[in-house]
Amino acid sequence: MAATQAPVSIGGEAALVRPGQMSRPKRFREYLPLYLAISPFYIIFAVFGIFPIGFSLYLAFHAWDGIGPMRYVGLEQFRYLLTDSDFWHSILVTFEIWVISTIPMLFIAMVIAVLLNTNVRLRGFYRIAYFIPNITSLVAIAIIFGSVFANSFGLTNAFLQAIGAGQISWLSDPWGIKVAIAAMVIWRWTGYNAIIYLAGLQAIPSDLFEAARIDGASAIQTFFRVTVPMMRPIILFTVITSTIGGMQIFTESQVLVGDTGGPGKAGLTMVLYLYQQAFTKSEFGYGAAIGWGLFVILILFSAINWRLVQGRSGR
Amino acid sequence: MLAGCGGGKNSASKTTLWYWNRSLDDGFLAQGNKHFSTLHLQPDKIAVDFKPKLLTTLAGESYVPDITNINSDIATYFPDEDQFVDLRDLGADKVKDLYLPWKWDLGITPGGKMVGFPIDTGPTAFMYRADLFKQAGLPFEPDAVAERISTWDDYFSAAEQLQAKVPKTKFVANITNVYNLSLAQSPKQYFDKQGKFIGDQEHVKAAWNHAVEAKQRGLSARTSGDYGSDWSAAYSAGGIATLNDAVWAAYILLEGAPGTSGKWRVCHGPGAAGNRGGSFMAITKYCKRPELAFDFIKWLQQPSLQTKTYSRIQLFPSATSSLADKTLAAPDKFFGGQPAGAVFAASAKELQPAYYSPYEAVVSDSFSAELLNVESLGKNPDKAWEDALSHARREIKHLGVA
Repeated sequence: MAATQAPVSIGGEAALVRPGQMSRPKRFREYLPLYLAISPFYIIFAVFGIFPIGFSLYLAFHAWDGIGPMRYVGLEQFRYLLTDSDFWHSILVTFEIWVISTIPMLFIAMVIAVLLNTNVRLRGFYRIAYFIPNITSLVAIAIIFGSVFANSFGLTNAFLQAIGAGQISWLSDPWGIKVAIAAMVIWRWTGYNAIIYLAGLQAIPSDLFEAARIDGASAIQTFFRVTVPMMRPIILFTVITSTIGGMQIFTESQVLVGDTGGPGKAGLTMVLYLYQQAFTKSEFGYGAAIGWGLFVILILFSAINWRLVQGRSGR
Repeated sequence: MLAGCGGGKNSASKTTLWYWNRSLDDGFLAQGNKHFSTLHLQPDKIAVDFKPKLLTTLAGESYVPDITNINSDIATYFPDEDQFVDLRDLGADKVKDLYLPWKWDLGITPGGKMVGFPIDTGPTAFMYRADLFKQAGLPFEPDAVAERISTWDDYFSAAEQLQAKVPKTKFVANITNVYNLSLAQSPKQYFDKQGKFIGDQEHVKAAWNHAVEAKQRGLSARTSGDYGSDWSAAYSAGGIATLNDAVWAAYILLEGAPGTSGKWRVCHGPGAAGNRGGSFMAITKYCKRPELAFDFIKWLQQPSLQTKTYSRIQLFPSATSSLADKTLAAPDKFFGGQPAGAVFAASAKELQPAYYSPYEAVVSDSFSAELLNVESLGKNPDKAWEDALSHARREIKHLGVA
């Protein structure tokens, strides 16, 4: 709240002085402290945000080993990118992992949010408990999951064996790898999305639910006819953030199966491929080109998401 | 590159040194700082992403360390040799005879500029569980084992005998390890000195075939990767009987499978001796006092300190007199009291020099990725070999651009 109040009061004081009466330099001096106060964000954003973006575009038209002189190669990197089967493979892998992680994750998150929205005891405790995975170190999680899914001595295999189901070589099997990575994403982000859904649920006016109840709607009907439509913008938000997050999966793969992406390159996500080309093969120009390929795909995919979720609401 | 970094050039009074954990001995760095009082050494232990950070400073031309450690991928820096001081100009040749010739040469660019000064080496040898060998009716004393597995064919026949008698144990961790170790013995790698790709030739195919044979004979425990938790767990449980690898892998084994301590022995491996890993010290062109920096490097890497560094942090020496020192011949508890260091030292002395091009990493992935497919997905080895070659050739063609 404090943040939204501050500009109002400043605006109020400024109005008292009547800006029209001041000369330009004087007005500038008057506002200088304000601009200075907000400048750190813009300076840091320019240095660490805008500059790297611009530089990576420049880099994508060059061949560079990271130290020596850059050599201009025109569109050559992009031409190679389009014919690079590993790149297309990495897109497919990323989408597969995205699908098998995002759909269950958002579903579970919604269920948790609805449950938390009822009058359970220790609600605050549950909210914190569900959120904690989100702030846990990703590398630590990946190492733990590596042990959980380890081929010969992992926890899941110990469990499967105990119930007589036999072992699965998770990290040697392309789908096993994807499931392991997706499990990590689900574990980490379900609570985060549940908290967001919970906030959305609490913003739905209770008279809508009362009206539904009076009209004799069942709990399931209420959920699909009242809750979900009212939550549409919130769902759109979570779908888009999960898409952006899912398209950028990197650490999970790298720690679990290494820079090459494991058997069948099943864990070679787009960002891991970028990293591999730029930082293990020192082909920074090509790495930058992959980055821009990734950018185009993200834009396209976000647009499709937007249409799908927004379009159906009939607005 | 940006205004505001201007003040960051190296100041003349301090000498910065970049290294990573256990690539130099912290105690000797402190001692060196006292010994060379005008050097004002400021060692920075870089925790993660050493190479990207070094490349970043070199590209940005600021905050570049005066002295830096460089890992065994030193050849990848050779296309940018102008970033470094030629150690020969500083009189490096005077101490050349103190070090293993092949190690010394690895720090020299094709143009003859000496970029890297030898630190440690990673000679390979064959480590095995003597108790399991005994159980399998195989020879179990080091000399006898070395004779029993002296060629790769002998190695495979011993492996089958062991697995027949000790059914729950596999002979190797994974077939990529077999490939890497077999290739490490070859003086030829993926490129010749003219930069021509020779990865399609007999020496690489031979290493490939060894790996495929290990797979076909069912010798692999198929651990996911090397030196990780799966790997350690398999060794801890006695699931793998041997480790044909570099000397530093022995210390990972010691930490990963402490319960097997005392059961291991080590001897000369199948085929020839090999080397994996080993780092270097370099002086960048930004160093204001290269002579003094080089005196410091020479002091830090003098044979007697290399010997002591070995006993402190197990960095395996590159100085010939250190390799012959009695410190290396001390009984090793992990190897049941066998003087294991001497076995690795013999391997280091026997090694045939190999040529590594700056672009090894660009193509080596093509081969290891396909071997993984052979091992994990049961891909046809011939098809995998063809795919590895075409993938590697494509990467090389791209290099023409990159």
